[in-house]
Amino acid sequence: MRQLRAFLIRCAAALTGRRRRDDAEAELASHLEFHIEDGIRSGLNYEEARRRALIRLGGFEQTRQAVRERQGLPWIENLVRDFRYSLRTLMRHKAVTTIAIVSIGLGIGANATIFSLVSRFVLRPAPVGDPATLLNILGTHIGDRCCNNLPWPVYNDLRSDAKSFSDFAAYYFPVPASVGGQGEPERAWGEAVSSNFFDVTQIRMVAGRGFTPSEDTQPMIILGERLWRRRFNGDPSLIGKSVDLSGRRFTVVGIAPAAFHSIDQILDTQFWVPLGTAADLVPNLPRRSARDYHWLMVVGRLKPGVSRAQADAELANLAARYAASYPATDKDNGFRTEMAGSLPDFFKGTVVIFLAALFIIVLLVLAIACANVANLLFAQAVARQREMAVRVALGATRARLRRQVLMESVLLSLGGGAFGVLFSLRATQLLSSVRLPSPVPLDLTVDMDGRVLFFTFLLSLVSGLLLGIAPAWAASRPMLTNALKGEDALARPGRRWSLRNVLIVGQIAMSVVLLSATILFLRNLESAARIDVGFQSRGMLLLSIDPRVHGYSTERTNTLLEHLRLRASGLPGVISATCTDQPPLSGGHRSDGFTIAGREDYKAVPSAELYMASSGYFETMGIPLLAGRGFRNERADGPRVAIVNKAFAERLFGNANPIGQHVHGGSWDYEIIGVAGNTKSRSLGEDTRPVLYRSLAQSIGEDASLMGYTLVVRTVGDPAALSEAVRRQVYALDSAMAIYNEETMDEHLRTAYFLPRLAAELFGVFGGIGLVLAAIGLYGVMSYAVSRRTREIGIRMAMGARRGEVQRFVLRQGLLLTAIALAIGWPAAWMLTRLAASFLYGIAPHDAWTFITAPVFLCLIALIACWVPARRAASVHPMEALRTE
Amino acid sequence: MGGKTDVWQGTLALMVLRTLETMGPQHGYGLARRIEQTSGDALELNYGTLYPALLKLEQEGYIRSRWGTSENKRKAKFYELTKAGLRQLRKAAAEWELTTEILERFLKAAPQS
Repeated sequence: MRQLRAFLIRCAAALTGRRRRDDAEAELASHLEFHIEDGIRSGLNYEEARRRALIRLGGFEQTRQAVRERQGLPWIENLVRDFRYSLRTLMRHKAVTTIAIVSIGLGIGANATIFSLVSRFVLRPAPVGDPATLLNILGTHIGDRCCNNLPWPVYNDLRSDAKSFSDFAAYYFPVPASVGGQGEPERAWGEAVSSNFFDVTQIRMVAGRGFTPSEDTQPMIILGERLWRRRFNGDPSLIGKSVDLSGRRFTVVGIAPAAFHSIDQILDTQFWVPLGTAADLVPNLPRRSARDYHWLMVVGRLKPGVSRAQADAELANLAARYAASYPATDKDNGFRTEMAGSLPDFFKGTVVIFLAALFIIVLLVLAIACANVANLLFAQAVARQREMAVRVALGATRARLRRQVLMESVLLSLGGGAFGVLFSLRATQLLSSVRLPSPVPLDLTVDMDGRVLFFTFLLSLVSGLLLGIAPAWAASRPMLTNALKGEDALARPGRRWSLRNVLIVGQIAMSVVLLSATILFLRNLESAARIDVGFQSRGMLLLSIDPRVHGYSTERTNTLLEHLRLRASGLPGVISATCTDQPPLSGGHRSDGFTIAGREDYKAVPSAELYMASSGYFETMGIPLLAGRGFRNERADGPRVAIVNKAFAERLFGNANPIGQHVHGGSWDYEIIGVAGNTKSRSLGEDTRPVLYRSLAQSIGEDASLMGYTLVVRTVGDPAALSEAVRRQVYALDSAMAIYNEETMDEHLRTAYFLPRLAAELFGVFGGIGLVLAAIGLYGVMSYAVSRRTREIGIRMAMGARRGEVQRFVLRQGLLLTAIALAIGWPAAWMLTRLAASFLYGIAPHDAWTFITAPVFLCLIALIACWVPARRAASVHPMEALRTE
Repeated sequence: MGGKTDVWQGTLALMVLRTLETMGPQHGYGLARRIEQTSGDALELNYGTLYPALLKLEQEGYIRSRWGTSENKRKAKFYELTKAGLRQLRKAAAEWELTTEILERFLKAAPQS
C-alpha cells in the first residue's frame, strides 16, 4: 500500500514535471551551512569546514541527483521526454506525418470495420442478464439436420426433469401481426413466449413488467421499445391500456428495452405475447401440442456452480430416457446446447468464411500501409543519419535511439488508429443501412463497441512497433565514420538486398492477392447482374397484405385477394395483376418432394419449390408459358391443378408431354395443366430448381403463408407512381388492412443482389485502398532508390553511358523486384481466392481474366513507378550529379 | 572508515523514525548528528544517502516536512512523525526486537560436543 502511494506520488511528479528542485537544493544548502558552522565551532577555518562537509555529503551535485531520482521516476521522465521529442519531430515533418497517419488509418480503419462485424455477429453475447449461464437447448435428430426446435411436451418434460437448470423458457418466432392504433395499421413481427421468459432471461423492462405465470393464455403484450416509440410516441401511460393486434385487443403490460430484439441477435422482434395466444395469432400451428411437432426455441438457465459439460451430460441421459419412453416420436432424438445468442447454424459457416476472407484482405491492406510507412521512416532515418550519428558520438546509447524511433512510429500508428476509428464509424454506418433479402425482419445494425476500440488500440500499437522495428534498427546503427563525413550512413558495402527491397517485394506480392480478389468480386457483381432471373422485372409493383392475421377465414381471404386483383387490373396504365404467396427471390421458400402419381415407390423430384399463383400470374411476371395454359378461376374444391417449370417437367417426364399427367406430393395429387419457363427461386447464384405452381384458390386453406400474400401489378409506366392508387384499392376493401413490403420489382431484385453487391463493394473498397497504397509505396521506393544513386549514375554518364542505357538500367532493377514479387504473390492469390468460391455467381474462383489482368495491371503500375524516376535519373547532368554529394 | 560501521541495510528508516519520536521535529542535519550520537559515534552516516531516504519516508506517508527556523535562526526543513509513521515504528521495532532476540539465543547457545 505504502509503496503504491509512493509510486503514485513519483508518477505524478514525473508526469507533471513538478519537481521541487529548488526545494531540494535549498535543503542541501541549509544542511551544508549547519555542517560548516559545526566545523568552524570545532576550530576549522571556513574553507576546511566546507571541504569536509562536502565530503561527508558525498558531493553536492551527486546528492542532488540522487534526491531528484527519488522524487520522480526516471524512466517515466525519459519516456515523457522521448514522447515530447517525437511529437516535435513528427510536427516538423508534417507532410510525412500526414501521409503516414492517413495510410495507417485506412489500414486500421478497414480492420476495425471488419472487426466490428465480427464483434457484432460472432462475439457479442445475447442481450440478456448474465448471458454466461443461459444456454440455447436445441434438438438434434440422428441422420438429418432437422428439429433444432423442441416440441411442447419435451419442453415440459425438461422443466420437470432437468436438475442442472434452475428453469427453462420457450419462445416461438415468427408471429406475424398487424398493429393498429393511430394512422395506417402496420405489419409487425413478434415472438410468443412462455410466461416465465423474461424472468429466465433476466430482462429488465423499460416500463411495466414481464408476464406472470397466470397470464399464459391472456391477451397481454409487451412492446419493443422501438415499436413503442414509433407507433405510440413512447407514451408511458400506455401500460395497462390495450392495443389492437391483428384485430384483437391486447393489454400492454411492459416495454422491453431497446437493446433487446430477441435472444437470436439478428432477429428484429417488435413485440412479445404469451405462448398460449400463439394459437390465435399464427394460423399454421395446428399440432402445437403434439410430441413430434418441433416448433419451440428453448433456453435454460444453468444453476449456480453447474458447468455446461455437466448440463450436456444430464441432457444426454434425459434424451436416452425419453427415447425409451416414447419410441414412436423420440427415437434418435437428442439435445445439444449453445451459448444463448450464438449465430444460428445455417448462418454460421457462411458468415465465418465471409468474415475470414475479409479479414485476410484488410490485414493485407494494413500490411501494405505499414510497409509504406516503414519505407517513409526509412527514408527519414537516412535523412536524419547525421543527427543520429552526432547523438551516438555524444554518448547516446543505441537502445535510446531505437526507443526514440519506435516511439515515433507508435505515435504515428496511434494517430492512424484514431483516424481509423473515424473511418470505421462511417463505414459501419454504411454497412448498417444494407438490407438482407429475408422474409422476416433482421437487425443488422453494426456499431463500434468497447471491444472494437480495444482491438483497434492493440492493432495500432502492434503495427506501430512492427513498422518501427526496421527503421529503428537502421537509425540506431549509423556508420559513424560515413555519417560524419556526410556520406550515406546506412549504406554498407556489398549489400545489394536492402530491407527496403524486401519490403517492396512483399508489398507488391500482397497487392497481387488484393487486386486478384478485388477484380474477382467486381467480375462477380457484373456476372450477377447478367444473370437471367427468368422473368421480366421492369414496370412491376409488389405489395403485400396478410388477411389471415386480420381474422379472415380462408374463403374471405380468397375473395378479398380476387377482388383486389380485379380492382388493380382495372387501374389506368395497368397491363395485368396477379396474386402469389411470395414473389421469387424473397429469401423464404417452401418445398416438397414429387413423384408421378401412382409411382410413389420412387421419388423423382426430391425437392421442388412450391409457389401459389392466381390467374394472370405468368403474363404479369413475364414468365413464358411453354405449353398448356395458365391458371384461370380454379374452383377451390375442384380437382387440384398445377403448372410446373421446364426443369420439373424434364426431370419427371423427360421429353414426354407432361400436360394432363398427374403428380403427387405433400398429400395431394395435381393434374399438370401447363409448363412454364425456368426462373431463379431462392437466390441468384443457385442452379435451376424444379418449381411447381399451385392455384392460390385451391391451396390457400391448408398452407397459410408466413409472408402473407403479394399483389403483383404490371404497368406501362413508372411502377412506383402507381403505389397510391393500389393502396387506395386495398383500403377500399378493408380500411384496417396493414400493407407491407411495398416495392418495385427492380428494388426487390436489388435486395436479392445483396451478397454479390456487398462482397464487391467491400472487397472493391478495401482492395482499392490497398492498391493505391501499394502504388504510392512502389513509386516512393523507386524514386528514392534513384535519387540515392544519382552520384553513381553521374559517374556512369561521365564515363560515356548513354541516356537510354541509364534508363534501362534503372527500369531493369524495378522490374526485377516486380517479377520476384509476382512470382510470390500470384500462387498465393491462386490459393486464397478459393476461399471466395462460395460467394461467386457464374464465374470460377480461378477466373482466367482475373488472373491475367491482375499481374498485368500491377506490372503497368510498377513500370510507371520506375519509369518516372528513371527518366529523371537519365536527365541528370554528370557534373551536377557528381557535385551533389 | 576509521573502524566505524556503516548503517545496516534497512535500518536507517527505523533510526530516523525512532529519533523523530524521541526528539520531535528535526531538520536533516540534526537528525544525522543525533543518530550518530545515539550510536555512541559507532555509526558513520553517509549524509548523502539520508536525503533520498527521508524523501522515500515522506512519499510513503510516514513523516511530513515543512520549512521552519532553527534555534540559531537558520532556515531549515523540519521533519516530523505522522500517525502512520508511529505505527510503522512500533511494528518495525517489534520485528527488530524479535530478530535480535532470536539471534542472541543462537549466539549464546552452548556449543554441543
